[in-house]
Amino acid sequence: MFKWRKSRVVKAVALATGLLTAILFGSGISAQTSGSLDAGETFDVEQAFGPGDIKDGYESADYQTQSRSLLSRRGIKQDLIQYIVKPPLGLPSVPIPEDNPVTREKIDLGRLLFFDRRLSINNTVSCANCHIPEQGFTNNEISTAVGVEGRLVIRNSPTLYNAAYLKHLFLDGREISLENQVWQPMTARNEMAAPSIGYVINKINRIGDYDGLFEAAFDGRGADIATVGFALASYQRTLLSADSPFDRWYFGKDESAVSESVKRGFAVFAGKGQCAVCHQVHHDHALFLDHKFHNTGIGYAVSTGEAMIGSNQTTRVQLAPGIFTELSNEKIKSVSRIKSFNDLGLYRITENPADRWKFRTQTLRNIALTAPYMHNGQLATLRDVIDFYDQGGISNELLSPFIRPLGLTDQDKDDLEALLIALTGTNVPQLVADAFAAQIGELSIDDPNWAHENTLGY
Amino acid sequence: MKRLIVFVVALVLPFLSMLPAQADETCMSPYIAKITGQEDYVYVWTLGVEGVGDEQDKLVTIGANPAADNYGKIVDVVSVGGRNEAHHSGLSDDRRFLWAGGLDTNKIFIFDIHSDPAAPKVTKIITDFADVTGGLVGPHTFYALPGRMMITALSNNVDNGGRTGLAEYSNDGEFIKTHWIPIDGDLRGATKSGQFADGYGYDVRVKADLNMMLTSSFTGWSNYMMDFGAMLNSPEAMKRFGNTMVVWDMHARKPMKVLDVPGVPLEIRCAWNPENKYCFTSTALTSQIWLIYEDDAGEWQAKAVADIGNPADIPLPVDISITADDNGLWVDTFLDGKARYFDISDPHAPKQVYEEVIGSQINMVSQSWDGERVYFSSSLLGNWDKTGDADEQYVKLYHWDGEKLDHQWSIDFYAEGLGRAHQMRFGAYAMYGKLNPYIEGVQTVEKQLTGEDAQQVEIDG
Repeated sequence: MFKWRKSRVVKAVALATGLLTAILFGSGISAQTSGSLDAGETFDVEQAFGPGDIKDGYESADYQTQSRSLLSRRGIKQDLIQYIVKPPLGLPSVPIPEDNPVTREKIDLGRLLFFDRRLSINNTVSCANCHIPEQGFTNNEISTAVGVEGRLVIRNSPTLYNAAYLKHLFLDGREISLENQVWQPMTARNEMAAPSIGYVINKINRIGDYDGLFEAAFDGRGADIATVGFALASYQRTLLSADSPFDRWYFGKDESAVSESVKRGFAVFAGKGQCAVCHQVHHDHALFLDHKFHNTGIGYAVSTGEAMIGSNQTTRVQLAPGIFTELSNEKIKSVSRIKSFNDLGLYRITENPADRWKFRTQTLRNIALTAPYMHNGQLATLRDVIDFYDQGGISNELLSPFIRPLGLTDQDKDDLEALLIALTGTNVPQLVADAFAAQIGELSIDDPNWAHENTLGY
Repeated sequence: MKRLIVFVVALVLPFLSMLPAQADETCMSPYIAKITGQEDYVYVWTLGVEGVGDEQDKLVTIGANPAADNYGKIVDVVSVGGRNEAHHSGLSDDRRFLWAGGLDTNKIFIFDIHSDPAAPKVTKIITDFADVTGGLVGPHTFYALPGRMMITALSNNVDNGGRTGLAEYSNDGEFIKTHWIPIDGDLRGATKSGQFADGYGYDVRVKADLNMMLTSSFTGWSNYMMDFGAMLNSPEAMKRFGNTMVVWDMHARKPMKVLDVPGVPLEIRCAWNPENKYCFTSTALTSQIWLIYEDDAGEWQAKAVADIGNPADIPLPVDISITADDNGLWVDTFLDGKARYFDISDPHAPKQVYEEVIGSQINMVSQSWDGERVYFSSSLLGNWDKTGDADEQYVKLYHWDGEKLDHQWSIDFYAEGLGRAHQMRFGAYAMYGKLNPYIEGVQTVEKQLTGEDAQQVEIDG
């Protein structure tokens, strides 16, 4: 079976868009593989398209490392507000709350907060722990997220690309705005585990890096429950990515922007594959969303114990390049703290039995950058996802009526995959370069910490 | 009896300061004075567990001298605050301080163990490790070099993966420099000898006579903090393990050669005899003993020399301990709870000659210099240990006569409200020119030696 490779995606995206030769206007970034930055440094655009610790081909005994050095990692700050003012081709205008107009000051402050590990209870976890910029603002390296003290999150980290348009936040839809949403990971016990909102605000007020920044961004108003949300939401709202090869073809009418395979893939997408029923495309924009919730059967299968541990007696586990073993599930269970990944999705919020195992439709933009897939990261590759839907999901009494066997040919699948790869936005390098330039907030000797003071500090 | 003690001390004390700067008990830096006789204490760096005692990490001191009235008992507990993922600890070159790290919070607790070996005190807490090192995360091995503490890290603060480096600190806890592990993107002058240059880190050891420093490789924060079962079920996560060791120029701190050692090479143990130009490691996932040796041409090479149990079952070898005569190697295998003894007199063909189930799970092993006392502890990582009844947490002492282990005592760390027992380090009053006051009669002798109560000693004598 074909295995999706990051390098293949990068190559495909680059070829489709002319990325390797075009100069991206106004960014300070040459889109050449190693272009010059304004500061005279270089930014390797390929580092924006996947983990620096490259594991492509790790299954093979012939695997060779080609990992990037962290020391060579360079970033350059971008004027992110440009994407709010003029969203990339294929995106609609950005909904902005009346009480939180976007400003550069808020974006800068939000970025600082986003990468600050000190906002967690033990100074180890920031938003960026789970939303890693070069990994599609999600985490390609693990199926489900890891929080403070290694506490398990039973869901895959969702991408933040184009989160500005979401009407329902979280995969179960329990929040309604980015401004509200930011507090949940910070105070969730299995994520950043801050004991309270007041704890976070007090901590921010005592960290020197924030001196005067809230006041400057909010007309003299300091850090509080609203302004922290405003700032973080402002940064996340700028992570808009489109102007993909698909957009240039479909909305820009540039027939040369994509291959014939991509065009055929879109025909399957909108027709035989029925993908567009949920991943909607409109005449002037496409979010590939329907803002609704659907039962694909994955959640159901987990609830019945079939998906994560498997119904077999053993699980195939990789030990080293080219080396695998079949490990007994009993042995795996002996070291598993979480005995169940049971997740009822939307039902958790509505308590309506009809909502069991429903999860929010996720965007397909930049989907090639956001593996692994589905709400629990269970499917590793785009081809796995296509195969899953082709077989009609997993049967259960509440399976979405839109999901049924599709009868796709191998050619259909190849074309669909080509289409999905063509949904990678051309400004991904800019957004990642901007993130690379961000300060990572680490505990310093001057920060509030019981180890250096005898006061409660809160 | 008391007269005999005075006599022995009188003979020994003048020479204490002249002890050669040799190895500690079989597995530590050659720059640390070693305890060749009876240890008085075992310091156990212990992970706090929710619902157990005060739920935080702590240094537990256990009496280890059979002549003392605190033998086999907990004599002191120092809680340090938080669950930092307490893991390894290491002694300073003068053996007066014990550095103990937290893989999660990056905090490093420096304990004074010389002022009162029975009651260690925290003298400094390093909280800015990730900040000053340029993003290293997960301080692991604390390895003494002259006037310095070399600290390996496991991860980084950018993607929480395995790319990392070593941090060099002064003995007084001041950061000096970061030494990044060579990686494809920046080999730093090293030779990539095989397929891999992953930039991962774990342990460090030196063969000082050969000016060789050796590092190994594990995995990053996302994996070592993750639930073990969830990780085994995540194919992507299982790709994020180290497959390399790096040979360094010790004095220059310069990486020279990256060796392929697939399957997660963890602990490194180097031979003591200067003529034995090799070190061992065990690979956790592929369950093999590997030999890293200098060949006839003076090149460092790596090769697998023995299987540990049945590798297909993943017995998960974790800690290893070499004997002082370079002829034996203890190998603990976590999942089956076994301590295995290998005859390594032929380093190219180790043979397992003994095994014993120590508990439902096992991790660290520490032996006395003479190899007669072998201590075992139970915890691997907070989220990797077994669950339910199999989650036994202990420190156990066995005597080893060269043929079999003989159980002496056990301390149940859950029953005592302590937590998960991880690394063990030894302490002895003799290191500081003192006598163990918990041995009958010694207090009187000490007073005599310090000029106090001399008349009473004379009368007793």
